Amino acid sequence: MRKRRIFSVLRIIGLTVFLIIAIFPLIWIFLTSIKPSIEVYTFPVKYFPSKPTLEAYRYLFSFAKFNMYFKNSFLVATTSAAFSTLFSLMAGYILTREKFRLRAFLILLLFFVQMLPTYLIMIPQFTMFSKLKLTNTLTSVIIIYTSFGSAFGTIMARAFLKNLPRTIEEAALIDGCNRFQVLFKVIVPLLLPGVGSIFSFCFVNSWNEVFTAVLFLHTDRKMTVPVALYSFVSKAGIQWNVMAAGIVVALLPTILVFSLAQKYIVEGLTQGSLKA
Amino acid sequence: MKKSKLRFLMLLPTFILILFVNLYPLARGGVISFQRLTVFNLNNPRFIGWSNYKTIIRDPDFLRILWNTFIWITLSVTFQFLLGLILALLLAKSFPGRGLYMGLVFYPWALSGFAIGLLWSWLLNGQFGIVNDILIRLGILKFPVGFLSDERFAMFSVILVNVWYGIPFFAIMLLAAIQSIPRELYEAAEIDGAGFWRRLFSITLPYIRPTIYNTILLRTIWVMNFPDIIYGMTRGGPAGTTNILAVHMINVVYYRNNFGLASALGMIIASIMTVFAVIYLALLERGEFEL
Repeated sequence: MRKRRIFSVLRIIGLTVFLIIAIFPLIWIFLTSIKPSIEVYTFPVKYFPSKPTLEAYRYLFSFAKFNMYFKNSFLVATTSAAFSTLFSLMAGYILTREKFRLRAFLILLLFFVQMLPTYLIMIPQFTMFSKLKLTNTLTSVIIIYTSFGSAFGTIMARAFLKNLPRTIEEAALIDGCNRFQVLFKVIVPLLLPGVGSIFSFCFVNSWNEVFTAVLFLHTDRKMTVPVALYSFVSKAGIQWNVMAAGIVVALLPTILVFSLAQKYIVEGLTQGSLKA
Repeated sequence: MKKSKLRFLMLLPTFILILFVNLYPLARGGVISFQRLTVFNLNNPRFIGWSNYKTIIRDPDFLRILWNTFIWITLSVTFQFLLGLILALLLAKSFPGRGLYMGLVFYPWALSGFAIGLLWSWLLNGQFGIVNDILIRLGILKFPVGFLSDERFAMFSVILVNVWYGIPFFAIMLLAAIQSIPRELYEAAEIDGAGFWRRLFSITLPYIRPTIYNTILLRTIWVMNFPDIIYGMTRGGPAGTTNILAVHMINVVYYRNNFGLASALGMIIASIMTVFAVIYLALLERGEFEL
């Protein structure tokens, strides 16, 4: 019994350490972002701002035009996530329910695409899109993000669909609905958490992507949040409280989405990769 | 509509995108790697044979970049796995507030690697960084250390951040596997008087072995391909001490604007990656996972 108590104390200590390590950096960057400029560069460090201020955010959204970048990012992430969700539900449904010759090959292809790093194919993509006169448009990155999202989304969709008993759709199929109608009239309403999690996952991925965006979007009006952060780093002399505010703005949407859909994202992700 | 035609149409959007946005560019990348192609001659590339590859291999820094990549992968994945496993084991038993706790402790996984890199570059800042401040207050350091500017510490620092970033992913995967272990196995073991370590090594680890292989393999590929954190923190510096293949390639694209050379590097990375992919497929064949 005494041994058991030692174990539970160790558990609590362990859990606390992991928690502090996980959330501390975020709290610190937030505190930096609400500091007045003079208190940012002090050593020993001043932990709490004497007068919290939104000065950095004001600079970000007025002078640094972050509202425009935010709007671009939001447009890119929602559009590509919406298309990815639609495409991956259709593909995932067929790849789960139908047996045909190329099935295994197509599924392996989906995994293969996951392994391809974005920066590896971004140059040919760039030359391709420049021939199509699509570089420096949000459309170009939307297409690229949709491709990645559909590939991974299909894997997730399969994970959710496998857990759904076939009997539910059979009645509708007998009534003469085709696969497409069954998917959107019967399956999707039942699978809303799954659909939401695919959308969230794709949204987060598109929101976070940097390197393609930096290569493709080079004029101010087309920049997304990560590209703007990237250009901040290049500009010498940017204040760290402003940088911190930029980082908070870049991280916040994904934290929000993640905290709403976490449970389902994790479910789809673990099932998807365990039972390839 | 005919059944097979509809099936084809429903698969079409996803796979046409994969074909044109992923597979075709991959093949084109192979072609570009034999060309002299920069931003300035984007529309009339010149064929130059193996020249780009020769440039890479003759680069006196190339061996060090390979070594850095190796260190980056092995240390990152090892510690992500070990700490992820510990976290998963801690979370295996339920406790009040577990859902909220998991939300908080898992969130870094969803964040942008680049932004994370920037964030930590501030925490580890050599003049005003809070890590220095804490270590000095605790009496571990006497004066601030340039975690990212000192060649001795830079690689260690970026790996540490990558481990921080990767723990949740391992924990999520391993926890899901641990939770699928039948309870009876543990109950039987407990009746037989098996202690914590015995249960860990005789039940838990063997049972989740496929997940461990799978996750380590996927993460190895991912970590090798992941320039985001290093890019946000050091861009490969100081003096190339944190330069890994992926970061090097990005630098060749952005700073030297040499697309041909970058593509040749990409092809080298892709061929290393293929080795891992083949291992992955072999494991699939052996039935470690089901398709």
